[in-house]
Amino acid sequence: MRQIISYVWSNRLTLVVEAKKLGGMSDSIATARPTLAGLAAVVARDANLTFGGGTATSEVMRRSLVKRGWISHDDHRDLYALSRLTPGTNLLAYCTGVGWLTRGASGTLVTLLAASIPSALISLAARSAYERLANSPSIGPVILLAMSIAVALLAASAWHLARPHLVRSLAVRSSILVALTVVLSAAGIEPIAVLALAAMFGAALPRPS
Amino acid sequence: MSAITLYVILLKATVASFSGFGSLPQVREDLVVQRHVLSDDALNRAVLVARTTPGPMGVYLVCVGYEVAGWPGAVAGWMALVTPALLIVPLIRITKQLVHRPRVRGALDGLVLASAVLIVWAAVPLSKEILASWQALL
Repeated sequence: MRQIISYVWSNRLTLVVEAKKLGGMSDSIATARPTLAGLAAVVARDANLTFGGGTATSEVMRRSLVKRGWISHDDHRDLYALSRLTPGTNLLAYCTGVGWLTRGASGTLVTLLAASIPSALISLAARSAYERLANSPSIGPVILLAMSIAVALLAASAWHLARPHLVRSLAVRSSILVALTVVLSAAGIEPIAVLALAAMFGAALPRPS
Repeated sequence: MSAITLYVILLKATVASFSGFGSLPQVREDLVVQRHVLSDDALNRAVLVARTTPGPMGVYLVCVGYEVAGWPGAVAGWMALVTPALLIVPLIRITKQLVHRPRVRGALDGLVLASAVLIVWAAVPLSKEILASWQALL
């Protein structure tokens, strides 16, 4: 991570300037500045029409944005890492970061709106359709199956988050942290307080270098 | 419940989470358990919609907002969804100095792992309800 951050802030601008001087086109270097309309169109399409969650969507976006020279592979890597550290929905943070890197404050606003408004409207329409279908007696097993899948996917999301911490070198630390979270939750402590305590524990016992 | 109150409640959940469904435990605690303005069934429906439509998973908050307070609630849910994303801009700046410090990295690790555990914790009652429905159906 240190290398990623150092790269973004120490080298990115230098590399872009050098690329412009050379007149070269490389997918490892950002070479073009998008229009706001073009940026909105690409982000709206990729962020709202891709299934599979934030990781899959950001990969689709990487291909679109790098192909156009709007961001580099390294920009994508850095933004993805930082989006994982941003509170809330990682994909929206990623899109916001793309807007910031490519068009500054106006790009930030445009990408955030383009990534969130269409999917919000789609979800409300889907909810309405779901309600109508739910009243049909024959649809009950189908909906129950879909709900079962949804719970399984929640578990998959949790696994995706926890997996990097479930390695031998972090076993003791992670086990204590998991046990602490379970005990506090079972004791009826609010999730936000549990998270604060987990952060304090993590800070007190950082991972081995 | 007013849209502003709902926005504050949902925002509290989203700023304390690190994934689309990371806010689910706090949302359930506040709206289902504490305030009784949302049912587990409606929350399940919102989660199902988000998982079966394209786009960000966190969009389930828009459906939650709609369930609680209609269209103003949906707007509140959307605002709670997008507000934390803006934090990546200052984060890009400050992490340059801070993220390499072991204790900061450790705090973030703790948050992420606890988020994963809390997602599972929130899924347990949903799973029991679904299991009971399957047993009744079969």
